Amino acid sequence: MEMSFLSPAAFAFAAAIPVVIVFYLLKRKRVVRLVSSSLLWQKFLAETQASAPFQRLRHNWLLILQILMLALVVLALTRPFFSGDRKEGALYVAILDASASMQAIDVAPSRFEAAREEARDLVSSMKDRDQMIVLRAAANTHVLQSGTAEKSALRRAIDACEPSDSPTRLVEALKLARTLVQNRSFAEVHLFSDGAVDEIEGLQIADIPVVFHKIGERGDNLGVVQLDVKAHPDDPTRKAVFASVGNYSEQTRRAQLELRFNNRMLASRTLNVPGGTNAQEVFTVPQTEDGVFTVTLAAEDDLPVDNQASAVSLMPRPVKVLLATAGNRFLEKSLKSIPHIELNVVSSPVGDAAEYDVVVLDGVVPAVWPKANVLAINVARSGWFDAVGQVEYPAIVDVKATHALLRFVNFDTVDIAKSLQVKTPSWALPIVESQQTPLVLAGEFDRQSVVWVGFDTLESTWPLRIAYPIFMQNAVEWLNPALANAAELTVRSGEPFRLPLTEPVPGASVELPDGTTRELTLEEGAMEILFGDTARLGVYRMTAGTNSTPFCVNLLDSVESAIKPRETLEFGKYGTVAATGSKKANVEIWRWIAMAGLGVLLFEWWFYHRRTA
Amino acid sequence: MSSPLLTSDLLKRLEQFQLLARRRSKSSAKGERTSRARGQSVEFADHRNYTHGDDLRYLDWNLFGRLDRLFLKLYEEERELPMTVFLDASESMAFGTPRKFDFARQLAAAIGYVALCGFDRVSIRAFPDNEEESAIRSAMRSVRGRKSALRFFQNITRLTASGMADFNETLRRGALEARQVGAAIVLSDFLDPAGFEEGLNTLVGRGFQVSAIQILAPEELEPETYGDLRLIDSETGAQTEVTFGRYRLDIYQRMVANFCGKLGEFCKSRGVAFFTASSATDLEEVLLKQLRKAEIWR
Repeated sequence: MEMSFLSPAAFAFAAAIPVVIVFYLLKRKRVVRLVSSSLLWQKFLAETQASAPFQRLRHNWLLILQILMLALVVLALTRPFFSGDRKEGALYVAILDASASMQAIDVAPSRFEAAREEARDLVSSMKDRDQMIVLRAAANTHVLQSGTAEKSALRRAIDACEPSDSPTRLVEALKLARTLVQNRSFAEVHLFSDGAVDEIEGLQIADIPVVFHKIGERGDNLGVVQLDVKAHPDDPTRKAVFASVGNYSEQTRRAQLELRFNNRMLASRTLNVPGGTNAQEVFTVPQTEDGVFTVTLAAEDDLPVDNQASAVSLMPRPVKVLLATAGNRFLEKSLKSIPHIELNVVSSPVGDAAEYDVVVLDGVVPAVWPKANVLAINVARSGWFDAVGQVEYPAIVDVKATHALLRFVNFDTVDIAKSLQVKTPSWALPIVESQQTPLVLAGEFDRQSVVWVGFDTLESTWPLRIAYPIFMQNAVEWLNPALANAAELTVRSGEPFRLPLTEPVPGASVELPDGTTRELTLEEGAMEILFGDTARLGVYRMTAGTNSTPFCVNLLDSVESAIKPRETLEFGKYGTVAATGSKKANVEIWRWIAMAGLGVLLFEWWFYHRRTA
Repeated sequence: MSSPLLTSDLLKRLEQFQLLARRRSKSSAKGERTSRARGQSVEFADHRNYTHGDDLRYLDWNLFGRLDRLFLKLYEEERELPMTVFLDASESMAFGTPRKFDFARQLAAAIGYVALCGFDRVSIRAFPDNEEESAIRSAMRSVRGRKSALRFFQNITRLTASGMADFNETLRRGALEARQVGAAIVLSDFLDPAGFEEGLNTLVGRGFQVSAIQILAPEELEPETYGDLRLIDSETGAQTEVTFGRYRLDIYQRMVANFCGKLGEFCKSRGVAFFTASSATDLEEVLLKQLRKAEIWR
């Protein structure tokens, strides 16, 4: 290891050494004393000098001590450090991972604190001309401190940084870092993280020198990674609460899973989760009012923040469906069989049908386009497609079986006589496709959810199949705005919460999980409230006008819950950054030298007094 | 009879002492010491043949009656023991609490008194020479008889210590100048840079019965001035720089013991009675015990 100096100019202070010698000579002014005879003293001197191993040095011990001390002080002033061999000022980008997993307490007091400490060490090791930028990476990337060489500002920025409950989006931070370090001859990106991040794909970082400071020791954690509340298929008064608990340690862990509804304990079950696996648990509980289901994992682990998750659950409301058809018994029957449905059948809709949740247009083009979500069968609204043609006997070649619309829906035995021929527009996703045209599309057009079926169902074998009523039920469920709202009442931490408004409100406020209230300023005439400060987990309550809407912020991120620190970070296909075991940071040692100097000073003081006491 | 030097009580006790002469006196003056010379005394020594002119009073008539031959009875002549006290009155003796010189003076007075009481001749040779005190000093040469004691004490009291002594030269001159060889007592601190060996050697070589008493001040045996010191020799004016602290005291004391030990060894090898006394020692202790132990008197 090579030693260098941050302030070699301080060697000029070595000029003080001759001054000390002069002082020393002055100091040797002695107390004059008349004695009877100096004979004994001369013999004494001869004696002491004869018994000392260093005759010459003996006289100058104090001087040597002082010169040693001064040399140490001068050495300390030159601020020597080990390693690092650059001449010009460097730019460091310190990325502090402030995600939920950094709150793990496997390194005392927490991973984030350890990361902060390492970042501070990096600041301390900076040379005078070096600059640093401090980024905080959580769900969003914040620039805590723009490029500066001022260490106090950097330390302030690092100290002010707090971990969040959100997952990490490292790509954003690294992309920002890349733009910051471009065109710098020496730049380094220091990532202080535990590596509990999504795979960083598609980011070419071969050109950025990333130093990965691995924080954390072990992965002893249990976490709630999934929570879902579904209506019970048989009993509308009951709900099925589905929770998945992941064990990210290596041993089998035992934990108590508790379910609460509006803070009322409903059930508690003991789970045995083998290491590295997930355990699913389904609670079937009655629900009589709108409220919040909360599952809590009572377990001692390194990351407490992921031991709880909440979900807003609303009572089922009847779906109001307007069917406009020239006559289709299959369709009418299918819709009628859906539970909680109020079906109204007309030949042609009048007005905008705002009171309905879903409008089904079976080959009918209304004069006034309805405001509600639309299931359009064999209808092409102007503006949806560029051009509309006809195709006969389209063969189904592709089915998106994983889409919610196609749950339990099988198109294998469906034949179609003829269909509209369109090109897949940008607003929609093809669900069922033939070679020439998409047959079923799902998407959102002009703030309206649309499921489009491009053929007359009566000119196909589809209504004869069991898949037909199931698809209709799926479509109504998918288009039902209430269910969509319920899904939107749960957001992941760090993501914004949107509340659509039916009419503008003068003001809104949000009550945070810790009980504080935040007033929101709304733009005039805004039809949507956007709340972005969702860094903390828990149940929020937004009050807009007279309505009060609860919403939940959950982590529910298996990547964050898997807190075992990673040795390497994978960057796309090519780049891999290994954790640096030894810190690349320069280690300054001037404090130690100054302490040694102080020690020598004390020793010199003691030595002098021992001689003269 | 009292004096500031010695208490009358002490003097009374001193009167009982008698200086020890290990050799027969060579003095020509009559005294109380047996000598090699034959003369008038009560102590029978030998017979010799009568020759013409011998004093008939000393013929051994009993022997003449038995043997019919004339023999002369010889008696031991009793002579005095000339006592020379070499008293160091140099500047260095003026130091110490109590002053070394005072102590030495008291010793000299006591020894002188014992000698005077024994009808011995006492010479105090204070060195170095001092012009102002030349009268006193010459008056202290060849003092004899108990009646001279008062004057002797007065003179000793008036001595002062000053100047730079040449120990060796003084002893050499004293040895050569002495008309009669007798006992010599050296009272000094023996802190002469030139050493002491030559002077003592000359005294011993001349036939003196030499006793040496080294007087050191308590400060010299155990210094109490610490720190960075520039020490100035009172006699030579030589400067010595020394840094001294409590922790080096044992080194110093070892050195002093070494120095005194060497001196004692030197003296022993030449038959010189020797001991070291601190000027703070009780005078009676020295006079009544140490001097007897050193066989200076009994």
